[in-house]
Amino acid sequence: MKFVLNKLSIGVVFLSALTVVSGVQASDTTGLTDTTIKVGVMGPFTGNASSYSKTQIGLMAYFKHINDQGGIHGRKFEIFPEDTACAPAKGIAAAKKLVHQDKVFYLHGNSCSAVAMAVKPTVSPTGIPWIIAHAVNPKISMPVNEKKSIYHGVPAGPAYGSTMGEFVMSKPGTKRIAMITHTNDWAKAYCSPAIEVIKAKGGQIIEEQTLERGQTDATAQVLKLKQAKPDFILGCLYEAETVIFLRDAKKYGLKSPVMGTAGTDLENTLERLGDKDAVKDYYVLHAFVDKVNGPKMKKWNDIILKYNPKETITGFSAVSMASGVAAVKALKAAGRNLTRSKFIAELDKIRGLKTGILACDITWTASDRHGCKKSAVAGFVDGNPTVLSAWGKAW
Amino acid sequence: MAKVKEQNLITRERLRWVYYFLPILALVIPFIVNEYILWIVNAILVYTLVTLGFNIIIGNLGQLAFANTAFFGIGAYTAAILMVYGNMPYILAIFMSAIVGGIAGFLASVAALRGIRLYYLAIITLAFGELMRWVYLHGDTVTKGSDGLKIPEEIYFLGLSLDSEVPKFFVFLLLTVLVVKVTSNLMRSKIGRAIVSIRENEATTASLGIHTAKYIILAFVWSGAIVGIAGAMFAVLTERVLPEAFGLTEVIIHFGMVLIGGTGSIVGSVIGAITLTTLPEYFRQFPGMDELFFGIIIVLILLFLPKGLVSLLWRISPAFKERYYRD
Amino acid sequence: MGGGRKVVCQAFTTGYIMEIFLQLTLSGLSQGAIFALIALSLTVVYRATTIVNFGHGDFVMAGAFFVYVLVIYAGLPYLLSSVLAILIMFVMGLGVSRGFIDPIKSGPHIGFAMMSISLGYVLRGGARFLWGREVFPMPRIFDMEPIFIGELVITGDVFFVSLIVAILLSVFFFIFYRTKIGIVIQAVYQSERGATLIGVNVRAFHQSMWGVGLAMGAMAGILIAPISLLHPDLGATFLIRGFAAMTLGGFGSLSGAVVGGLLLGFAEQIFGFYISSTLQDITAYLIILAVLIIRPAGLFGRTITVRV
Repeated sequence: MKFVLNKLSIGVVFLSALTVVSGVQASDTTGLTDTTIKVGVMGPFTGNASSYSKTQIGLMAYFKHINDQGGIHGRKFEIFPEDTACAPAKGIAAAKKLVHQDKVFYLHGNSCSAVAMAVKPTVSPTGIPWIIAHAVNPKISMPVNEKKSIYHGVPAGPAYGSTMGEFVMSKPGTKRIAMITHTNDWAKAYCSPAIEVIKAKGGQIIEEQTLERGQTDATAQVLKLKQAKPDFILGCLYEAETVIFLRDAKKYGLKSPVMGTAGTDLENTLERLGDKDAVKDYYVLHAFVDKVNGPKMKKWNDIILKYNPKETITGFSAVSMASGVAAVKALKAAGRNLTRSKFIAELDKIRGLKTGILACDITWTASDRHGCKKSAVAGFVDGNPTVLSAWGKAW
Repeated sequence: MAKVKEQNLITRERLRWVYYFLPILALVIPFIVNEYILWIVNAILVYTLVTLGFNIIIGNLGQLAFANTAFFGIGAYTAAILMVYGNMPYILAIFMSAIVGGIAGFLASVAALRGIRLYYLAIITLAFGELMRWVYLHGDTVTKGSDGLKIPEEIYFLGLSLDSEVPKFFVFLLLTVLVVKVTSNLMRSKIGRAIVSIRENEATTASLGIHTAKYIILAFVWSGAIVGIAGAMFAVLTERVLPEAFGLTEVIIHFGMVLIGGTGSIVGSVIGAITLTTLPEYFRQFPGMDELFFGIIIVLILLFLPKGLVSLLWRISPAFKERYYRD
Repeated sequence: MGGGRKVVCQAFTTGYIMEIFLQLTLSGLSQGAIFALIALSLTVVYRATTIVNFGHGDFVMAGAFFVYVLVIYAGLPYLLSSVLAILIMFVMGLGVSRGFIDPIKSGPHIGFAMMSISLGYVLRGGARFLWGREVFPMPRIFDMEPIFIGELVITGDVFFVSLIVAILLSVFFFIFYRTKIGIVIQAVYQSERGATLIGVNVRAFHQSMWGVGLAMGAMAGILIAPISLLHPDLGATFLIRGFAAMTLGGFGSLSGAVVGGLLLGFAEQIFGFYISSTLQDITAYLIILAVLIIRPAGLFGRTITVRV
């Protein structure tokens, strides 16, 4: 017993001596040194959503590019990528690690809305600046949180959804609309705003069908939709399921045009279907100013390829870079005496920033953190993917 | 082979003192680690109970019933729903999660009682879990479906505000220690012995006059209750209850924790929970790494260390062996 | 505003209803054919070794991936690649049985379950690791102009899949019931001890049955991939359907697995159309539960319950 008690007292003393001041509150300059800015990039680098992490890869390539150009007022980005695997629990661990252990200056990234929402209670109260560069759930950044620190650097659900709705209704004579969606929050973030716009413009939703992730057959859904004879179909589906739906739609002669989301891109879909006829009436949200491999995008694609030579460029790759451009602009504007509050103040001054990547101009104010409110649409015109602003009108 | 001298040093009584002492020692943890590590520690506590509950069915009772995520999800949603819609204080919510979890355990036991065994039982219980997940997903009005159900901002446990990881730690530690202690007592009692006896040979046990149905139900109900409590803790840990946390991938991870730690062993449950909660934190970068490692580790354990990591402790001293491990 | 078009009365004629029903049936049967193949491959291993391969979905995916690698990187024709992939998976089955199942043979079934899951995870993780974040289209081999019977559409996919599975099943059951090898297999299924007594090498038998099971799984994968897309998680959904088919047909019954698979495919389409598409995804689980409640032995199963 005496032996044990002695060990005990030594242990207690030792541990007390180890008491690190973990209660250190994050300060306005946490994550900064004289030569570095620590940025935490969360994304689904592993798991079944890992194709979305291409956006984070693009973003990180941009940061490295800025570093190579000399950095920002003598500081270079120190990037901390953390995997969320698109799973909320893992995402929380990732966020806690970045905020409390790595103590980064700010957070930039996130593809999965579910993870971002799960992570929000951890990040929001700390006031650490957080730019959402891919996820679409509008509730992540609005209403503005207490510390006023969260931003959306891509079109949020409402922006995307209303673009979908506007495009659908821009086709003359459209009145009866059907939908086929997944049941998760990602799909709702697109389809719900779209429905609102459609109804506001006098359209009617005549049929709603569900297709779950992982299903390989859409026969029942297509037949039901065909029965309803819609003028247009809203398709809030991921890539793989979109392919399955379009394939079955062609198979059973469902001829209505289909409006898809930003989770797919035309070239990829065509490649997977291998059938031009099946995609000729398929339209997707296209967030960029040009086609994915178009001339205006070359500069950005080159940056990505420079630091990731084996990467395949898809419709995801450059999405996050736009908010990266905005962030760098604000960091530069804040000057050498950089602090988190100055960074946030500069972000709120960004008005109509043309990033050269996204179709929208980024505008952030202290009361509106949805920086990007517009998106283009892309479709096949005469067999070529074309960027459109409305039915039959080029961008 | 243990040397004689070592055997004298570590005895069962001394070990028991250590087990009582560890939680007290653990009380210093919140003061020496940052919030990220503390969150991991809290997760470990939650998963300890998850693994413990699962181990009772798989290890002690020896049944292939994979209803664990069903109990976990039911516990989490029960607590969240009661707190959000019923304004119930957390401590009551935990209690209700235990009860509802126990009921779920009872329902799960029905299949086993009907004589269904092995893989068939496994498949049925998996189906149960997936159906529950469909309910969470489509019970939109109540469960908020895929958006997830966010627990109230202010929760109190006996007056202590659970607003950061530190108070959560104390509450979780208390719950874990209580549950582990009671389970340990249960397993060392007549009930526990009957359960293990059923695992070894059901027919013989029945022929001894032991009412096997009663003990099977008890094992399932207890497992459901424990994992239900773990679910209530999980709701507070992640602050938002989502359907995806209770799927097939998760039940396999729970299974992994049981196997890595040691089937039928309480200490093993703790070890397994610690291992599989902390290791993934190191495998963050490459697609597929975590799955690869998980698969390889389990295969290696099955081939070379079938009784789990806890069997390594046995080599140090036989005093570590609990009376209800699997031979 | 001008009135919207009303749904044409045509929708309510018996002919139209019949056509939809037939279309759903056709689609359901062709999907069900694949479920049947998977359930059958699971049952083959189960009957031989009393083990259910919980990682089977990932082996199915592996078969498809091997074909992809052979076609795209080695430039071999699709048919040859398929045959090679099937052979590779057969050998893998032998290896799995010998290297991973035999050593833990004396352990509890929990061990087998976890072993099979873990091997599946290794395959899945490996596939994801090698192919990173991409999803791959398979070459379009079932391309053919759709056949029309009235309004009924029969596309290349449906046609070829149904045909190939029908042929495979016929060959399988022919071998099983009419050849010497088949009789030996039946003998071991019925009584391992008896078979050992008359000189059958049961250990080799176990290994070859694993090989056969995985090879059949690979065939399923090869049929699935062109229709769906190739990605590491391909196997998961099909595995559950396989289980549901086995349950419905009667756990352990070979013909039951086939019938169960076809019925499941059919049920999914019917539920999806006539009840609600939100239910389609959980049809398999509902069927499992229904079987448990109504008749645990399934359609053709022998009672496998334990009564104490």
